[in-house]
Amino acid sequence: MNLTADVAARLGVEQVPICNGQSGSDLAVAASLAALENAAVPGAEVDVVVDYTILPQEWMAPVWNMSGKVQKEIGAEKAFTVGFSGGGATNFLVALNFAAAMLETDEKMKYALLVGADVTIPGNRILNPSSPVSVLGDGASAMVLQRGALGRLVLGTEILSDGANHDVYYIPGGCLANPEDPDLYRMVLDKQRFDAAPKTDTMLQLAKSVLDQAGLKLEDMKYVVYPNISVEDQEAFRIAFDLRRDQICTSNLATHGHMQGNDLVLNYLSLSAGGNLQEGDYILICSHGMGFMAGASLVRI
Amino acid sequence: MFAKIGILEAAYYLPPTRKPLSEVFRDEKQDEKPLAANVDFQRDIGIEAVHVAGQEPASSVALKACKRAVEKAQIDPRDIDLIVSFTSIPEDYIAPTWSAAGYVQKELGATRAFATAINTGGCASYQQTLKSVCSLMSINDRFNLALLFAGDKVPALNHNYYPITVVCDGGGAVLLKKNHDRNLILSVEVITAGKLHDVWWVPGFPNRDPEHPEDHTWMHVAGDIKRFNTEVIPINLLMFRKVIRGALQRAGKKPADVKYYVYPTFSSWDQRAFCRAFTIPPDRMFTAGLQRHGHLQETDMVIDYVDARDEGNIHPGDLVMLTTNGAGFSWGAALVQH
Repeated sequence: MNLTADVAARLGVEQVPICNGQSGSDLAVAASLAALENAAVPGAEVDVVVDYTILPQEWMAPVWNMSGKVQKEIGAEKAFTVGFSGGGATNFLVALNFAAAMLETDEKMKYALLVGADVTIPGNRILNPSSPVSVLGDGASAMVLQRGALGRLVLGTEILSDGANHDVYYIPGGCLANPEDPDLYRMVLDKQRFDAAPKTDTMLQLAKSVLDQAGLKLEDMKYVVYPNISVEDQEAFRIAFDLRRDQICTSNLATHGHMQGNDLVLNYLSLSAGGNLQEGDYILICSHGMGFMAGASLVRI
Repeated sequence: MFAKIGILEAAYYLPPTRKPLSEVFRDEKQDEKPLAANVDFQRDIGIEAVHVAGQEPASSVALKACKRAVEKAQIDPRDIDLIVSFTSIPEDYIAPTWSAAGYVQKELGATRAFATAINTGGCASYQQTLKSVCSLMSINDRFNLALLFAGDKVPALNHNYYPITVVCDGGGAVLLKKNHDRNLILSVEVITAGKLHDVWWVPGFPNRDPEHPEDHTWMHVAGDIKRFNTEVIPINLLMFRKVIRGALQRAGKKPADVKYYVYPTFSSWDQRAFCRAFTIPPDRMFTAGLQRHGHLQETDMVIDYVDARDEGNIHPGDLVMLTTNGAGFSWGAALVQH
C-alpha cells in the first residue's frame, strides 16, 4: 500500500498494538481479570460472561467461543456464557444491551462480565488497502456490570441494523461459502456501500430516541464515546453531532488504531481516567457498525 | 421475571434430499472404538436417514424456515422488532464477524428490526437465546415481536458425529410475541461449565493443511473423546437435573406438573437414558424425530416441538419442558405453558 501523507492524515493512526504470540482468549482473560480487580468483584461472583468479539477466534465460532475459557480462567463457576456476532464495534452495545436486560429481569443475577478480544488476521491490518478506511490493532477489553449499581448507570440502548448491508464488513472466505481460497480469508469492507450508508443520520436518530426516553438532549451530554476508525470518521461524527473537540475522546486513535468494540471500552476508560467525570454527568456511546448496525447507549455517571 | 411472552408460531425446513445412514457410514469412515456393552453405534443409533442441503447455502436453509414461520403466523415481516440467529455451527461466512441474521432481515424485508446472533452454547444456544431475548423484550417497549432462527448445514462428509450422533441439515424458526396469550415462556435456565469449553471445537481455516486445499476437515467438528467420556458423561444427567430444577423453581412448578418433554434426537440410547433418569414415560417425550431425521444441533428444540405440537402430543394447558445439552459444556431448560 502506498501510504501517502494525505492517506496518513485521513487515517490518523501512527501505531497499533500487535499480539506477540498471545491468543485472543489470553488477552480476554487478562482484560477480564483486570476489570474484575478494578471493580473488586471476585470471578466467582460473576453470573454471566458476555462476549462481544468481532474478529475470528483461535477456534471457529459458534462451535467454540472464548467466553468458556474466560469463565474457566476467572473461576466464574456459577456463571453461564453468551456471545454475540456481527455489527463491528456496535457488537459491544449489543452485549451491553442484552446483559443489562438480563441483570434487570433476573433477580438471581448480580454481575455481568462483558469481554471482547480482537486479533487481526495476519496481513490484514489495513482495511480496504486500495483506499484505506482504518488500521486494525490487536487488543482486548472487559467491563463489569452490576445489578442495582448506584452510579454509572446504563439508562438505555437503541440499536438498528440494515440487513442490506449485512455483508458490508465481513470475511468472504474460510467458511462454507469459500472454503479454499486463502486470499478470501481477510476482513473486507465494501467501501462504496460503507460510504453510501446513512451512518451519522442513523446514529443521530438512535441517539435522539435514547435521549428522548430519558428526557435529555444532546447538549446535556458531557462526553460522547465513539470508535477509533479514523480521523475522517471521527470528524464526520463530531460535526454531525455538533460536538466540541473536547467532548469526544480521540487520543487513542493514533496509538491503537481500530480494535472493534474494544475501542468503546478503551475510550470510556480514558475519559474516566481524565478525572473530569462527575456524578450526574451523562455520556453517550455511539457506533455505526460499519453501516450495518448502528447503536447508541446512554450512561449516567 | 419475564414479561408475558409467548410462542406465536414455530416452523422448520428440511432440504428435500435424504441420505440413508448406510451411505453416511460408507462415505464417512470413522475410527469407531466400541461403545458401552451391547451398543453398536451404527446398528443401534435409531436414525434412518438425514437430510442434506447439497448446494443450498446454510443461510438459504435458515431463510426458508423463517419464511414458513412468518407465513404460518400471518404477520407482516415489517412488524418484526428483533431477529436473532442461534445457529451453533459454522455458517456461510465466519463468525463472530458475520451471522445470517442480517441476511434474513434483508430477505424478509424486516426493515425496522435489529438483527444479531448468539454464538455460544452449542445445541443449548436455543435456551441461551430464549433467555437473552425474553429479557430484552421484558424491559424494552420497542421489542414486541422477535424472530429466532437457526440454519444448519454441516460441511460435506461431516454428518457422522461418532460417538454421539449423526447430524442432519435443516433450519428452524420461532416467533415470540409479547402479551401473547398462549405458549408462554415461563422460565429459562442455562448452565455452562467453562472447564469443558474445549471438549468440542472446529479447528478453523488458520489450522488447515495448506498443501491440501481440498481437505476441509478443518471445518469439521473435532472432539476430545477421552475427556468427553471421563468429564462430560459423568456429570451430564446431574447438569440436566440442575437446569430442569432451576427452570421449574423459577416458575413455581414441580416436576409432576410437566406434561411433555422436548429433548434432542442424538441416539436411541441417549433418549432411553434420559427417560430412565427422569422417569419419563415414552408417550410424554417426543422421540419420533430421531428415526426421521437424526440430530439437528440446536434446531432439535424447534423441529421436535413443532412436530410434537402438530401431531397432537401437546394440548392446551400442558406444561412443556424443552431441555438439551450442548457442545459438551452447556445445558439449558425452558418451560413453556400451552
